[in-house]
Amino acid sequence: MRDDRLLVALAVLLGIVLIAVGIVYLIEPAHSLPGFFPGHEAGSSHHHVKHGIAAFLVGLACFAFAWFRTGPKRATPAT
Amino acid sequence: MILSALISYPQAIVLGLLQGVSELFPVSSLGHSVILPKLLGWNIHQNDKYFLTFLIATHLATAIVLFLFFWQDWMRIFKGLGRSLRDRDISPDDPDARLGWLLIVGTIPAGILGLTLQDSLRTIFASPTSAAIFLMLNGLLLYGAELLRRRARVTAEEDDARIARTVSWRGSFLVGAAQAIALIPGFSRSGATIAGGLLVGLSHKDAARFAFLLATPIIGAAAVLKLPELFGSAGDGVRGQALVAALCSGAAAFLAVKFLMRYFETNTLMPFAIYCFGAGLACTIWFGVS
Repeated sequence: MRDDRLLVALAVLLGIVLIAVGIVYLIEPAHSLPGFFPGHEAGSSHHHVKHGIAAFLVGLACFAFAWFRTGPKRATPAT
Repeated sequence: MILSALISYPQAIVLGLLQGVSELFPVSSLGHSVILPKLLGWNIHQNDKYFLTFLIATHLATAIVLFLFFWQDWMRIFKGLGRSLRDRDISPDDPDARLGWLLIVGTIPAGILGLTLQDSLRTIFASPTSAAIFLMLNGLLLYGAELLRRRARVTAEEDDARIARTVSWRGSFLVGAAQAIALIPGFSRSGATIAGGLLVGLSHKDAARFAFLLATPIIGAAAVLKLPELFGSAGDGVRGQALVAALCSGAAAFLAVKFLMRYFETNTLMPFAIYCFGAGLACTIWFGVS
């Protein structure tokens, strides 16, 4: 099912979003994070570096999934 | 209190040796590092900043030793990953590539759960009594894995090829996620992953090999991530002891992995299950009455 373009598009989109989220976690202190982000805390200047790394890694995993999903089809052995 | 007196050098040697052995034996290093100071009457507490900083060095040493022990395997795995990325295909005929991606799939849940839950779980369950109770449960977990394990197929393939063929993507994800249980002091990371490996159909030897390969990036990354703390103010007064402990931990880890790879060729988790249950029970009673 390598031509499943919707799944690939979703993986790429999710990858971009997660990497963006990761960057936000790395550069913004907890009080500046959007309210719906886990770790948002009013008045806190703590940077959630770990959350950022986690989001970044999952984003990369999404890209890897899309990369393999769009690769050349494996030849099926003749029967 | 003088900072250098927080952990003495003899204590550092004992804790380093303990860490090196118990990180790889399926008996919970974190649990033992909580329980042992209490048993010996040492004024060392799991959640003290200096102690966490001290442990970074021992974890890093363990990860380096593991990486070097499986150096040739890692080189083949890295090459396999490169081939698969180049070809955009994880060929069933390329066990190194498949094993590499299985390790990545297993590392992702462990990494995410570790990054997000480590501090909170360690804080909640840091008492020696809870560590002793969870050590008992770790014994039951190992025993359960022995009862429920699938019979591994015997083949003439190389170890890594057999692991790559036996473990599914889902299996690798679940085995990796099982590592997160080790965030609770008393549960063992290698115990959880070896148990998981047995449940997905690996032999004891292959399950141990897969567990050690899976543990290396997680232990190493966790240590590297916190390494700046060792060189910051949190490391004041414990750097020398941390270095000594790291050397002891590295030596103990080398002997431990060498022993375990041979041990699991013919033996099971049962002795560790009995030890964990017995030691956990004895410590629970001891802490309760003392």
